[in-house]
Amino acid sequence: MADIGAELLALQEAVEARARSQGLDFPEIVYEMVDHRQLNEIAAYGGFPVRYPHWRFGMEFDRLMKGHIYGLQRIYELVVNTKPVVAYLLNQNAAVEQKLIMAHVCGHADFFTHNAWFAHTERNMMDGLASHGSRVRTLIDEQGLEPVESFIDTVQSLDNLVDPGALSRARGKPGNGPPLDGLIPERDILGELLLRAPLKDWQQELLSILRDEAYYFLPQGLTKIMNEGWASFWHSRLMTSELLRDAEVVDYADQHSGAMGGDDGPMNPYKLGMELFRHIAATRGQEKIFEACTVHNDLTFIDNFLDEEFALAQGLGTTSEEFETAKAQLMDQLTNGGQPVIRRVDSDDGELILEHCWSGAELQVQAAEATLRNLEKLWAAPVRLYTCLNAKPVLISCIAGELSREEGPADSEVADEAA
Amino acid sequence: MSETSGRVERDRRRFDAIVRGQIKHDLESYVSGSEMIGCKGGQLVSIPLPRIELPRLRFGSNSEERGGGAGTGSAADGAGDEAGVGTAGNVPGEHMLEVELTLEEMAKILGEELELPNIEPRGKAQVAVSGHRYSSVSRSGPRSLRHMRRTMKESLVRQIATGTYDPDDPRLVPIAEDLRFRSAKEILKPDHAAMILYMMDVSGSMGREQKEIVRLVSFWIDSWLRSQYKSLETRYLVHDASAKEVDHDTFYRLRESGGTKISSAYELAAQMLAQEFPSEEWNIYLFHFSDGDNWSGRDTEKCLSLLRETLLPAANLFCYGQVKSAYGSGQFMKDLDEGVGAQEGLIACEILDRQGILPAIKTFLGSGR
Repeated sequence: MADIGAELLALQEAVEARARSQGLDFPEIVYEMVDHRQLNEIAAYGGFPVRYPHWRFGMEFDRLMKGHIYGLQRIYELVVNTKPVVAYLLNQNAAVEQKLIMAHVCGHADFFTHNAWFAHTERNMMDGLASHGSRVRTLIDEQGLEPVESFIDTVQSLDNLVDPGALSRARGKPGNGPPLDGLIPERDILGELLLRAPLKDWQQELLSILRDEAYYFLPQGLTKIMNEGWASFWHSRLMTSELLRDAEVVDYADQHSGAMGGDDGPMNPYKLGMELFRHIAATRGQEKIFEACTVHNDLTFIDNFLDEEFALAQGLGTTSEEFETAKAQLMDQLTNGGQPVIRRVDSDDGELILEHCWSGAELQVQAAEATLRNLEKLWAAPVRLYTCLNAKPVLISCIAGELSREEGPADSEVADEAA
Repeated sequence: MSETSGRVERDRRRFDAIVRGQIKHDLESYVSGSEMIGCKGGQLVSIPLPRIELPRLRFGSNSEERGGGAGTGSAADGAGDEAGVGTAGNVPGEHMLEVELTLEEMAKILGEELELPNIEPRGKAQVAVSGHRYSSVSRSGPRSLRHMRRTMKESLVRQIATGTYDPDDPRLVPIAEDLRFRSAKEILKPDHAAMILYMMDVSGSMGREQKEIVRLVSFWIDSWLRSQYKSLETRYLVHDASAKEVDHDTFYRLRESGGTKISSAYELAAQMLAQEFPSEEWNIYLFHFSDGDNWSGRDTEKCLSLLRETLLPAANLFCYGQVKSAYGSGQFMKDLDEGVGAQEGLIACEILDRQGILPAIKTFLGSGR
């Protein structure tokens, strides 16, 4: 990694001055110049160059590198939510691309600073994740690679069992997981395991680390459309209003449309978010977009602002009915970041009993069973899950590694809703 | 940065080892998309990347299981549940990245991936491929090919040399001797002629899956050889108890039934080579796919002598791929092994299923002949 040189520093200063004059507010941004391999590597580690070792990052890196070799994809920008904000620039980019990315990054940095879902996010995560990394390396030295890696595999299969509602309780706690005093949030299954599962000390420490990281990355999954939309809205506005030189227009247009296009059509999060912010600015005024950016997540953002006029203009449907269906579908995909809502019903008698809060879609049953197996491995006592299959309530249990499935009790909440 | 690069390489190697089934077998059932590069008609190619999807509580379709349940009656629903755990992630296309690549590029990537050696042509026949390139300059030529910059430069040189150039009034007037023209250079490239002959057993025992495997193998062999030779002649031949030459489409679609006389194919191949492709002028690649169930030992004898005396001496490479069919794998591979034995230019390989396609291609083409 290298710093970006005087020319780009001057460019950065110019871009940021424009951005601030338009009302964006963000902390210091530090750019690092990297080559594509380094960029892929950092992206594979979720934006952090130093994390704990795990094959999953190797898989991600492999995919990114192959994507690069076959010319399928290119990482467009990479911003890390820390203080100062760290962003990476690809050394092969032309000046106009760097300018666009800097404008885009200003948007992200502003979003990280002001959006409520990030209000309690630990900003010193560069150090946080690096120290997690070195702790895990020490544990590997002490316990051996196999047991540590397998334990990470197991926990990763459970790492969506966290409670977004608990994010606000993480304030002031280094690392980001909500504190485990008092009542454990009913959807914080990782927290429940941490507190009550019979784990060895090293497993406990590892689980705590992984839970912290899950909570750190959680808000990003809840605000993808808004975050990308906000950044795109601003790069587009800044570039086309002031920053772009005549000679750069065509290259800019090429870059911009490349990011906004793609197979997803109107559902491309960059495009959808940007157009929606434009729509709000046009119909409700500039003030409103700043407010929206602060209080919403993707779900509430779409719910509040995606109206019929906008949907028809964007090709999300051609009739009122199609619009309703498309919106409902989108809302389903965004609910809980696209993850099923799983809550703890009871864990007092030693058994861990979970319930899938029915929202109309089934769980993939083989994956669910394998997940229960993993859960039981940690919990070391029977684990059960209420859900629905073929519109019938079902209770899946895992006892001593054995799975069984029976028709759920007719009086369960799930059953009522499914019926 | 160098230290972190080491880290990501370690993680990547670990991932590779899991995908290849060398370590952590408990994760094997979650590996998806590791099968062969697939081809979709025309020039489109899709590259599935291997991926390990850890199980999670997630939404997903259960239709696969329901389909099974419907077939066997609902009574089986409860009892047969646990067998399905490994099938997660089987949905095709889920992690498939689709690329548009020319076949030439694809073959090159394939070659790199499989570490195929570049083929060393026999160097017998040299076909001159001529091309024209306007890479030189001459003093005469048609006006349409005038090289303006060079002309003006000559003019400038002349004017400075003669002292008539005035920097304050830099007017350049080319005269006849300043004129320069682009001119074409003829390029002669040596090239090697190559032919591939595919022979396929289409007897009753070769089912659709077997043909599909043959199709995939020969498609990629074809792509690879095409990336190695400028001009490539491809011929197809099918046989059951008798052999005939067919075109490309028929080769892949034909389904015949009946017995198997492999010698019929080899005879026809020998005849074709003798008449059209003398081995002094051609690099010859012969591929034969069969389930190895030959009619009789006598016919096998005939095959072996044809191979020894005619086909092997003429060809760069003779590859025999034995595809496992529903009726099991035949005897011919063994006979070939015993009858001809290990010999340069003869490669035999058994292809059990789709997983065997990649290793088969590597075996066939790994020799670099």
